[in-house]
This record gives sequence, C-alpha cells and structure tokens, in this order.
Amino acid sequence: MRYFVGIDIGSTAIKISVADENKNLVGHKISASGSMFYKYAQEALGELLRELGIEEKEVVYTVATGYGRKLFKEADENVSEITANAIGAQQAAKSYGEIKTIINIGGQDSKAISLDAEGNVVNFAMNDRCAAGTGKFLDVVAMNLEIGVDELSDYHFKSVGTPLSISSTCAVFAESEIIGLLGNNHSVEDIVSGVHYSIAKRIVKLVKRIGVKENVYFDGGPALNDGLVSAIENELGHKIFVPEYPQITTSYGAAVLACDAFMCE
Amino acid sequence: MHTEHTIETPHQRQNRHKAMEAISVINALKEDFKFPIQSMGYFYDLFETVYCRHEPLHEGKVKIGTMCIQIPSEIIYALDGVPIRLCNGFYTDDEIGSDLLPQKSCPLVKATVGWFASDNFSDKPDITFSPTTCDQKTKAGAIIESFGHTVIDVGFPRTKESEESHHYWRESVKSFAVKLSKFQGKKLTRSNLESAIKKIGYAQSLYHKLTEFRKNKAVPILGVDMFLVTNAFFFDKIDEWIGAVEKLVAELEQRASAGVNVAGKASPRIVYTGSPPIFPNYKIPLIIEQSDAVIVADETCSSNRMFNDMVAVDEWNLYDMIDSVSDKYLKACTCPIFTQNDDRIRRIIQLVRSYSGDGVIYQAFAGCQVYEMEQRSVLAAMEREGIPILYIESDYSPSQHGQLTTRVEAFVESLKNRKRMKK
Ligand code: SF4
Ligand code: SF4
Repeated sequence: MRYFVGIDIGSTAIKISVADENKNLVGHKISASGSMFYKYAQEALGELLRELGIEEKEVVYTVATGYGRKLFKEADENVSEITANAIGAQQAAKSYGEIKTIINIGGQDSKAISLDAEGNVVNFAMNDRCAAGTGKFLDVVAMNLEIGVDELSDYHFKSVGTPLSISSTCAVFAESEIIGLLGNNHSVEDIVSGVHYSIAKRIVKLVKRIGVKENVYFDGGPALNDGLVSAIENELGHKIFVPEYPQITTSYGAAVLACDAFMCE
Repeated sequence: MHTEHTIETPHQRQNRHKAMEAISVINALKEDFKFPIQSMGYFYDLFETVYCRHEPLHEGKVKIGTMCIQIPSEIIYALDGVPIRLCNGFYTDDEIGSDLLPQKSCPLVKATVGWFASDNFSDKPDITFSPTTCDQKTKAGAIIESFGHTVIDVGFPRTKESEESHHYWRESVKSFAVKLSKFQGKKLTRSNLESAIKKIGYAQSLYHKLTEFRKNKAVPILGVDMFLVTNAFFFDKIDEWIGAVEKLVAELEQRASAGVNVAGKASPRIVYTGSPPIFPNYKIPLIIEQSDAVIVADETCSSNRMFNDMVAVDEWNLYDMIDSVSDKYLKACTCPIFTQNDDRIRRIIQLVRSYSGDGVIYQAFAGCQVYEMEQRSVLAAMEREGIPILYIESDYSPSQHGQLTTRVEAFVESLKNRKRMKK
C-alpha cells in the first residue's frame, strides 16, 4: 500500500494526518510542538506510523505546512496553511457539499478563507494581533472560571440569562473583566455564552470582510466546542459545517495534496 | 457528534444583541459604583424587562411615537395615548440604519431608522409624529414612512425669537392636536388637558426635587442613574414612573441628611451638555463617572431639557392651555437647531453656577452638524466665563473606548489640579 503524509507544524501543536490512495484519512495524531519541534515532529510521525502499522517506505510523499513547515526538511514539498486548509476542507466536506467559506480558529490566530468553485483560495482575512478570539483565549477563560475547556459547551447551552459580553479585545483585560463578573456573582453559564458570542461576533466580522458564501466550514480546535459553533451560527445567520476532526483539517489537506502530487508524477 | 442547532431569526439575533448591550450597561450601573441606591432597582428592572426580555409595557394601549421632545406629551396623555419617544441609543440598531443613511449621519437618527427598518418593537407605535427639527430627523421621518409606517410631520420653526415663529408653532400644535384627536376618536377637552398638564407638571416637580439634591456638597446620586431615570420617561407607564421617583426622592432625602456621597473627596463636578445620552449609549457619562468625576447637572434633550420648564397657564381654558403648552416647547427649548442659541449658553452657565460645577463636558455625536457647529460659540463663551470645557466627538461604536477614557481622565485630572491650586 502507498500512503501520504501531511504534517502541520503550528505554534502550539503538531498535527499529522495520513491518507491512503483514495485520499481517505486513515489516521492522525496531535502533539504539542514545544521548543524542539523538529525533533517532536519526527518522533510523532514515527509513533503514528507504528500505531497504524505502516512502514516508513510505504509513505511515498510527504507535504509539510504551518509556521514551522520549512524546518521539516524530510518533506517532499511544503505548502502554506491557507492552501492546505482549503484542500482539506473541500475533501473533508465532500459528502456534505461544496465549501465556499472557511472559518479557522487556531491557537494564536483566526482566519477566514473564501474559495471559488474549484476550491482555489480567492481571498482571505486573518487576525493575529490579539488573543481574544483564539483557542488560547478560551483556555484562559476556562482557567479563570475553573472549568475544563471541554465543559464550555455544556455551560453555554445551560445559560438562561442574557449573555454577558466581554468588551475588551485584549486577553489580559478580558481576564480581569471575567474576574469582575464572577466577583459580582454572575452565573458562569452567562459568562461563558457571553464569551462565545464575543468571539463569534469578532470572527463573523472577519468573515464579512471577505464575504460570506455558503457552505461555511469551521475548523481548528475550538470547533470542537459546540456552544461556540452555535454562537457563530447565530451571529452568521447560517448553518456551518464542522468536520469530525476539526483540529486536523490543515494537515489532512497537506496529505491530500501529497496524494495528488504523487499521482501527477 | 455535532448536533443540529436551531439558528436565531434576524429578529431574535437583534434582540439578543440589544439585550447584551443593555445588560452590560445595567450591570455597570448596578455594580461599578459605591453606595448603590435601593430605589434605583425599579429602573434597572424596567430596562431589563424592556430591553433584555423585550416584554411589552403597553399592551392594548394606543402608542403614539414621537421623534423628538417637541411633540407635547400633555396632549397625547389628554387624548388617552401613550407617548413613546423614539430617540434610540442602541448600537445594534445604529448598524442596521447605517445601511440606509449616508455614512456620516447622526447615530441617534440611524438607530431610530434602523429600529423601524427591522420593524422589531416590543411596544410598536401605532402612529408617529415627527417635528421638523434638525435636518436628519426631518428626513428620517420620510424614510420611516417609506417602510409603511404612518408618520405625520409637525412643522417646527428654526428661529425662536420672532412673532411669526411663535404663531406658526402654536398653529402647528393645534393642528397636531386635531389630527391626534381624530386618530384617537376622542375630543380634547378643558378637563382632560388640564389633568394631563397637571400630571406632567407633577412629574417635572419630582425631577426638580431630584436635581436639588445634586447641588449638595455630598452628591447622593450619580449622573448615570439620573440619565436612566429620565430616559425611563421616554416609554414607561407614567403613574408607575411617578411612584418610583417619589420613592427615589424619599431615599435621596435620607441620603442627603446622612451626607452620603457617591463621588470621591476630590471628584470634580461636571455639567454635561451636547447630543443626548440615550440608553444604552451611556458611554461618555460612564467614562466620566468611572474616572472619579461626578455629573451634577446636564443640558441635554434626553434629560434636563425634557423636564426643566413647566407649562405656565394663566387661564385654564382649552385654547389658552394649548398655547401655553406650545410655548413651553418652543420658547424654553435650547436645542441647537435654532439660528441663534444664546439661551443654551445662558442655561449652561447658570447650571455651572447653581450646581457648583468645576467644568463642562460637551459631547457631540459624530454626524450631528448642529451640535458640532455650536461647539465654537459654546467654547468661546465658556472661555469668557473662565469655565473649563472638554469637547468630545463620539458615536455609538464600542471601539473608541480606550481613547475616550484617556481624554476624559486627563480633563478630570486637570480639574482636580485647578481645584487644589485654588486652595
Ligand atoms: S437634539 Fe434637538 S432635534 Fe435632536 S432629538 Fe434632541 S431636541 Fe430633537
Ligand atoms: S444629535 Fe444632532 S443630528 Fe442627532 S437628532 Fe439631535 S440634533 Fe439631530
């Protein structure tokens, strides 16, 4: 068998996807990137292949993407995360429909990508200036509220009052706002839904800059948070599609690209 | 793994956005200041009911929309209508209105137009009267009419002093009364107008009692709370408003004799003037009072100008009463739409003197020509009088918060310094 590897070296995590000749995802792995991310990337890849029972020589083409892509010398090719994200989204949503807009919330930034009918990137907008509206921000919020990140969604849907919006766009100030709200005995549920809506409003503003076309695809770790998904849907006024493994769309796109590149050779 | 969610309708989204705007201001009023006033609870609840829960207050009543303070509520109440003042402070609605009006329009007008464009009211006016005051309000009436709402213009003169103006306005008010009486199928009589004038007069007298306390050295109530109380008069059931303010007066009396001071020891006393702060756009008043200053008086049409002057009736017969009502809305008005406006300057100076103001903050909405233009004469007059003044332009967007805070803080600190130097 021949396999194709996509490896996405991001600022907070390394994500690896393995695809078969039919571009199906056969396995994936997420590990922290840390300081020695080149070494970690190699280790993680070795581990993943072992888990899947794939021999190294069966991997015939590797594409790297993400901030650290140029440092992964073993790759046959590298590609920007925007392109990889677009390809991955198209493929992951194949049974759902044609994707025209992608929302990606990463650990440190958020992006909106707009695609044409062929799946080419025609426009994109990015916010990497502040943490409010990123995965990192949700971590900070959960920590302040003393709940797990994976609990945020439950709290969101339990909110019965008016969502309490967080006005600061800076994560540091937002933190003190949250502490203030807690101090005044506001419910954690309303704070959580307020945070989600604040993020959703900001991301929808970003998407509107490039124009919202359906279908809309949402990926990145925070897409696992169903409360945030619902908040974005409400702000957008449209349904959005979330793939089964939203964290790895970009590496999956790189694997799909590896497959295409190999087949063309 | 991901469940299907029902997605909000545009109206539900708009309501949520407005609720989120409203609750953050209500919470700030409730929680950010020392010595909260118990009887303010009525007003916090009222705004939450109307703007967070979107519950109607006047079911089964005929609601008469007014585009400005110049439409006499005395006549509306006399004819069994509920006046609803449509001046709007929501950024959510301002954004909707932005798509329909030129970019550099007044946010208040954009918000009112946006409100009608979305047709999302908990207490929708059955008919609206629009005085031809500033250009934007005047044109907004026609736009709102194009959405299928009944809007009736009420001619308003733009010079205040001339005999012709007085005559014209008295005729305008009469014709307004005739139209409304037809609409309501009810006659305006000596007795129903007299009791409406007296009721509003009583409401005004309560307002005056509240403001008296603000002359004290220890200020028992914040300016932001005062704005909320007067804003409630835009739409509240008048009898309940009166009941709540009576309680507030009683509580302030106690606080005044106990010397409760909501401000700090060195807090400068501010007279606020300019474009009206309308809930929840309390951006500048909140910044001022969160910056250790206290608003002791205001010259704005959402507050002081609405209550300041009483109807002065000589003869309690119908026509004399209508004329007296008209005069209150023209002669006493200090709106900047008039050609000459020395009255406004005099009013500001008088407020500074009688409330021991340390400085004036003049806020104009970006896009409000008349307030922007009157800035020069007001600034010059304050300079002549030796009254420090800060001029700020702002809109409804939440984005300029940091910048505005820095400017206000600098002004407040300069006032504190001045006070120290004097001593
Ligand atoms: S500023 Fe003048 S024209 Fe505008 S709402 Fe107030 S009274 Fe009316
Ligand atoms: S703030 Fe200015 S433009 Fe806006 S309604 Fe008042 S007078 Fe008109």
